[in-house]
Amino acid sequence: MNRPTTRLREALRGPRLLQVPGVIDAIGARLVAEAGFDAIYMTGAGTTASRLGWPDVGLLTMTEMADNAQRIAEASGLPLIADADTGYGGPLNVQRTIRCYERAGVAGLHIEDQSWPKRCGHLDGKTLIPQAEMAAHIRAACDARTDADLVIIARTDAIAVEGFERAIERAQCYEDAGADVIFVEAPRDLDQLARIPKSLRVPALYNMASSGKTPFLQAEKIRELGYALAIYPNYMLLAAIPAMRGVLQELKETGTVEGMLGRIASFRDLFDLMGMPQVRELESRYGVSESAKARY
Amino acid sequence: MKASTQLRSKLASAGMLIAPGAYDAISARLIEQAGFPAVYMTGSGTSASLGYPDYGLVTLTEMVDNAAILARAVKVPVISDADTGYGNELNVIRTVREFEGRGIAGIHIEDQITPKRCGHLDNKELEPLERYLNKIRAAVDARTDPDFLIIARTDARASLGLDEAIDRVNAALQAGADMAFVEAPQTLEEISTVPRRVRGPCLLNVVQGGKTPPVGLDEAERMGYKLAILPGTLLRAAVHVFDDVLAQIKAERRAPEQLNRTTPHQTFRRFGADEWDALRARYATDSAPTFDPVAAARSAAR
Repeated sequence: MNRPTTRLREALRGPRLLQVPGVIDAIGARLVAEAGFDAIYMTGAGTTASRLGWPDVGLLTMTEMADNAQRIAEASGLPLIADADTGYGGPLNVQRTIRCYERAGVAGLHIEDQSWPKRCGHLDGKTLIPQAEMAAHIRAACDARTDADLVIIARTDAIAVEGFERAIERAQCYEDAGADVIFVEAPRDLDQLARIPKSLRVPALYNMASSGKTPFLQAEKIRELGYALAIYPNYMLLAAIPAMRGVLQELKETGTVEGMLGRIASFRDLFDLMGMPQVRELESRYGVSESAKARY
Repeated sequence: MKASTQLRSKLASAGMLIAPGAYDAISARLIEQAGFPAVYMTGSGTSASLGYPDYGLVTLTEMVDNAAILARAVKVPVISDADTGYGNELNVIRTVREFEGRGIAGIHIEDQITPKRCGHLDNKELEPLERYLNKIRAAVDARTDPDFLIIARTDARASLGLDEAIDRVNAALQAGADMAFVEAPQTLEEISTVPRRVRGPCLLNVVQGGKTPPVGLDEAERMGYKLAILPGTLLRAAVHVFDDVLAQIKAERRAPEQLNRTTPHQTFRRFGADEWDALRARYATDSAPTFDPVAAARSAAR
């Protein structure tokens, strides 16, 4: 099979919108693969939430992100697009980030023009680095990859800080610097959304964030606007939160888990999802005796 | 006793503590065995041990992981380089919690912008004073162990001069820092000025071949310093020895004779073999006899 980077490049050229659900861990990775998506996304906000229990305000380190990405890439087997925040410093830090992410098995990553420490693109109070500096970061990123197919996505957070026109200028500058895909963060309306892909030669990324700042559009509509891919960063995490709350509340109120059994995944479901059939196959291949094999 | 409390009580006694710099468990153990009262974890050495120059490439996570290895390897307190605190006030809070949570006795935080560079390189850029003081306040507030030592480092000497550097650390002490670290004073006069004009305990960074002229440690103590760190000395010594031994192997095409005098077990004993052998003996059963490494080595040689 082709390398994940090459597969991602192919998927970006496909006729349909590449829909990329976001996950925070290997469990989510297994679910996305099971559901038959062609690529997977690692959300920085979700990873920060999962690893630190803190909001996305630039507290997680590059090595923690790369470590998490490695687990997701491995467990999903899918081309992984990972959030790489600002690249974590100057051009040298960006280059180290590229090398670490590449080794983690990442197929694509996005680097943004916020100053460090950054914050979630849908929060207020963002500050930017100068455009020329960011262009240098993109050049540094492109130079650092050892796999020419690694997809480097340049993200600009400029709409909220400098306005839409400046955001387009920045996006075009990053495209000239060598970015493979452009990600204009948090457009406000259909007009802005439509203008972004039209202003670019390279594919554009649609961030279907949950903040409500970007309209919630159908996949066909996003494709019609000219986007090649859409990421859905936190929907699995957001779905899990009320489900987990419900379990906790019910346990507290009723003192038993009995009533929830029909609504939650079964023990067997979890183990199958995590690859029990493959484990049993490996056991057979390597001569583990029948009595010692893992069984339900 | 907690490492932090141990460090505080050592600092409370008269005189200056000397903390040579370690970058891994081997160097940390040797420092302890040589009888030094504390171990300093060098960021520069940690970067080098990961294969990078000290250019701000190493993350908080990597620093803290290495500090945890050092703290686990020795009983004396470990004081660690924490660079700039890796960002703004919030990053500083996380930094303090991470180091504190791994049993580190204290850290120093500097006023360079992130990513920083080695204090003895040129073209360092500084944070505005007010931002730096906010970071020191955040660090002080973030500790849950009141004995955890917050050392305020300033890199201002290079671009703003000694007076501004001294003003900065005095302001940091006012903001709650426990100790002052003026990086890279450039003359003996400057070295002696720092403890006279700083209103709190002072740290001296002994960097050989850097911007600071050589000064004897007794002299530094007489000047009034409370803590001297020698971050790169062991790493540099190791580099020299490694180079010599490697050249010797290349030239003589055999393992160096002078190292034949030490048995592997003697080396293991420097890294806790006796402790582990005692544990092995305590939990030995008839079916799993105690492993005797000396006897095993003898029988392997036969």
